[in-house]
Amino acid sequence: MPEILVQYEAEIWQSIGETFIMVGVSIIAAILVGLPVGTLLYLCRKGQLYENHFIFSILNLLVNVTRSFPFLLLVVFLLPFTRMVIGTAMGTAAATVPLSIIAIAHYSRLVEQSLLDVPRGVMEAAVSMGASVREIILKFLYVEARSGLVLGLTTSIISFISYSTIMGVVGGGGIGDFAIRYGYQQFKDDLMMYMIIIMVILVQLIQFTGTTVSRMIDKR
Amino acid sequence: MIILHNVSKNFGQFKAVKSVSLSVHNGEIHGIIGASGAGKSTLLRIMNLLEIPEAGDVEINGKTLTKMRGKDLRQARKSIGMIFQHFNLVANKTVYENVAVSLKLARFPRRQRKGRVMECLQFVGLERFQDKYPAQLSGGQKQRVAIARALANNPQVLLCDEPTSSLDPNTTAEILGVLENVNKSLGVTIVIVSHEMDVIRSICNRVTVMADGEVYDTVSIEPKGIHILDNNPKSFVEQLTKDGDVGHA
Repeated sequence: MPEILVQYEAEIWQSIGETFIMVGVSIIAAILVGLPVGTLLYLCRKGQLYENHFIFSILNLLVNVTRSFPFLLLVVFLLPFTRMVIGTAMGTAAATVPLSIIAIAHYSRLVEQSLLDVPRGVMEAAVSMGASVREIILKFLYVEARSGLVLGLTTSIISFISYSTIMGVVGGGGIGDFAIRYGYQQFKDDLMMYMIIIMVILVQLIQFTGTTVSRMIDKR
Repeated sequence: MIILHNVSKNFGQFKAVKSVSLSVHNGEIHGIIGASGAGKSTLLRIMNLLEIPEAGDVEINGKTLTKMRGKDLRQARKSIGMIFQHFNLVANKTVYENVAVSLKLARFPRRQRKGRVMECLQFVGLERFQDKYPAQLSGGQKQRVAIARALANNPQVLLCDEPTSSLDPNTTAEILGVLENVNKSLGVTIVIVSHEMDVIRSICNRVTVMADGEVYDTVSIEPKGIHILDNNPKSFVEQLTKDGDVGHA
């Protein structure tokens, strides 16, 4: 192993850990909140099963506004909220707040798009069989859209990694922050390159896993 | 018995169904025919409230569906089977799972589920296809799975929305044979919408003709039976030229 990596081994592991925490919490938020929000966006859309202009417009606006912010500004804008939720606006835990919010907005849009690919007829068959809303969603919609949902999540996770790299501004740490502070600001170009290589490997692994899983579960 | 009483349905400015009254008797195969846009599919979809009519009542076996909401309506729909032109199977479920889901929705006892699914698949002749996915089946096989799915909960009524319109002539005959069997051996009342005169004439006892969102007439007919062609080009040519005076080009 290159000497410089050995020298900074502890810091590198720590920053990888921080990235995992930030991205991990984002993924959980995306699934627990983004998936339902995206589903609601889909169901309330014009011409869909539970068309509801009011709910759709509100959710649509929230998602759009959140995604319009340059992410760095969103982080700053959310500082008071973060302080309220976590008790401090600094550190890895605090960094998960804006990351989770952008994660929800990001993934909910991709969920909505995947669900739009489900043939309308399948939904009608479900209704004709007397399925409840919950059953339509769980036994038909998600089953039919599952490969798109997985691909969407994969795309989202890679974006989350990218977003997490700037969380250094609020002391969130992570690989990106490490690369900037140790590599760029201390002129250790090789260290920066190694960090970039780690990121590339990470993204490749995630994309490969996502694509493989999505292909395996797609029987259409 | 299915009774529609002055039902109307509009899509925006377009009046798809204009105050239609119609009764379908128990045990019959009732055809609905008409040109595109005559409102026949809409009328069928009103029967299980897939389209909710703006006015009028829908009554099936003494229960007024149009007065039902939520849970009651979902319960009533479980005894009304429906099949579609494009089959509408869940592509990510196997043949077995596609039929089983309809039993699960109806809270059919778990331990008897497998037996019931296989019984339905046997009825349509697809018991060996239980682990296949819809993408691995032909159009006719997909429609058979859809029929098995619709029959799983022992419905009293089977609504068929252009069930053979995306199938070739022989497969059409096959599917009509299955539907006739559903009617004869299970006693299920069938309503079938089609724009193909041959389909309607081959199996229906009574036919409603629709035009411009209204019932033009309802007539009783003697079904002329299902005509299956040999699946070879020679018989196609024979059919085409059998009236004599047409020769080869």
